[in-house]
Amino acid sequence: MMTEKKFKINFTESNVQDSVAYILVSEFDLRPNILKAEISGDGSGVMILSLVGDEEKLVKAEERLEEAGFDIKELEKRIHRDECLCWNCGACTSICPTGCISMDPKTFLINFDDSKCIACGACLNSCAVHALGLHI
Amino acid sequence: MPKTYEQINEKIRSGKAVVYTAEEVIDLVRSNGAEKAAEEVDVVTTGTFGAMCSSGAFVNFGHSSPPIRMTDIRLNDVPVDGGLAAVDTYIGATALTTNSKGGYGGAHVIEDLIAGKKIHLHAWGPGTDCYVRKDIDTYITLDDINDAYLYNPRNCYQNYSIATNTSDRTIYTYMGKLLPRMKNATYSSAGQLSPLLNDPHLETIGMGTRIFLGGGEGYVAWPGTQFKTNVEEVNGVPVAGARTLALIGDMKQMDAKYVRGLDITGYGISMAVGIGIPIPILNKEIMERCAISDDQIFADMVDYSQPVDRPPMARYSYAQLRTGKVEYNGKHIRTSSMSSYSGARDVANRLKDWIEHGEFMLNKPADVPFPKERKLNKLEERRC
Repeated sequence: MMTEKKFKINFTESNVQDSVAYILVSEFDLRPNILKAEISGDGSGVMILSLVGDEEKLVKAEERLEEAGFDIKELEKRIHRDECLCWNCGACTSICPTGCISMDPKTFLINFDDSKCIACGACLNSCAVHALGLHI
Repeated sequence: MPKTYEQINEKIRSGKAVVYTAEEVIDLVRSNGAEKAAEEVDVVTTGTFGAMCSSGAFVNFGHSSPPIRMTDIRLNDVPVDGGLAAVDTYIGATALTTNSKGGYGGAHVIEDLIAGKKIHLHAWGPGTDCYVRKDIDTYITLDDINDAYLYNPRNCYQNYSIATNTSDRTIYTYMGKLLPRMKNATYSSAGQLSPLLNDPHLETIGMGTRIFLGGGEGYVAWPGTQFKTNVEEVNGVPVAGARTLALIGDMKQMDAKYVRGLDITGYGISMAVGIGIPIPILNKEIMERCAISDDQIFADMVDYSQPVDRPPMARYSYAQLRTGKVEYNGKHIRTSSMSSYSGARDVANRLKDWIEHGEFMLNKPADVPFPKERKLNKLEERRC
């Protein structure tokens, strides 16, 4: 069954030059979409990517990367909203590039579509009541 | 038949008043006409819940023994005014904490006081023959202090421009985070629910009008600062900021749900205030004006990347803005509000509920007319 999962991979100096995307495409026939990739001055790095493909192959790919020494974690919860703090102003809705956060046209309450979140974090500092958090 | 305040209050007292919110009344007037609707409806409730920087609270702490004349006062590390009598202060909403972590200010102190939290009071004074003490370090709560009332010099802006950013970098403004190259635009009015868009020439609203303020009862105190009238009107309402109100209300009645500290990235602290104003339907004309809807209320979009002189770029209705996107030169701009429409609706409904249950009477404003015409002065820079 085709499915989509998002992962965060932490690189170290020793594997930062390896091509994770090539392994995923050539060995597991997965479709990677790199949402974010950063290498810092100490040679370590972090990548957030979405993978589309066969569910079984996704599991195997995750194991393969773990064995190869990558620190890989699936992103389940992405943007978190504290509903007690949120006052539903909606300032975040025009910042979100994917439409993950939107305003319900009837209730005028915030709607969250977790599956669209790419963990970019752009919305975080648009919130004046500190109701948004990103746990990756 | 025109109605009077006395007649409406009599109906409220007997639990028979017919109350609609400014949103609900739109369809009624459209289907029945203003004349019939004016006969049926006694009161229309409005609401707004947005960032209003020109807000704050007067507080009296009570005297300690021995007493102190406080001249330098901190509440939870936020500097508050030391220029009043010995133990009086004014907490300005935008005052920023001295703590290097930031993100907290006068508005948060006000919210925390209303929420019943303990607030750290640290104050210093010169020490005088009558006030010998030079410092005090203690904790206060809203219950302990003698007086605490909001006095907001400028609230309820009658409409406001839409903000966008044509520059190549993200800018952080009091209108929120504005992405480069007009990726988004923000607006702030509650539109069809907003008090001063439902009574645009202040026929019923004036000094002494009883209102919903922050979850308690408050009053219109005065015209708000920067009150002006020389703004273009479309469908009888201004298309940019015009009239404003100064409001007053006892914090001890308030609910922290309706008074929120805001930390607006790159700008500073502001306060979101929930305000509801009842409009007595005294005649058909007042009814007609209360039926205004988002598709009839417009605002101009301006470029906040320009430090001065921001000419209007385009004009949109609130109905368009609330869809989440507008079009400009063939390009989509995502739109979002800086005020809570669901919050404004909640305020209008709460006020409606109070009136229907006979718990809130209308107060006829004092015979002190607010300016019919007023322009604003610029600040001149003079050498002497």
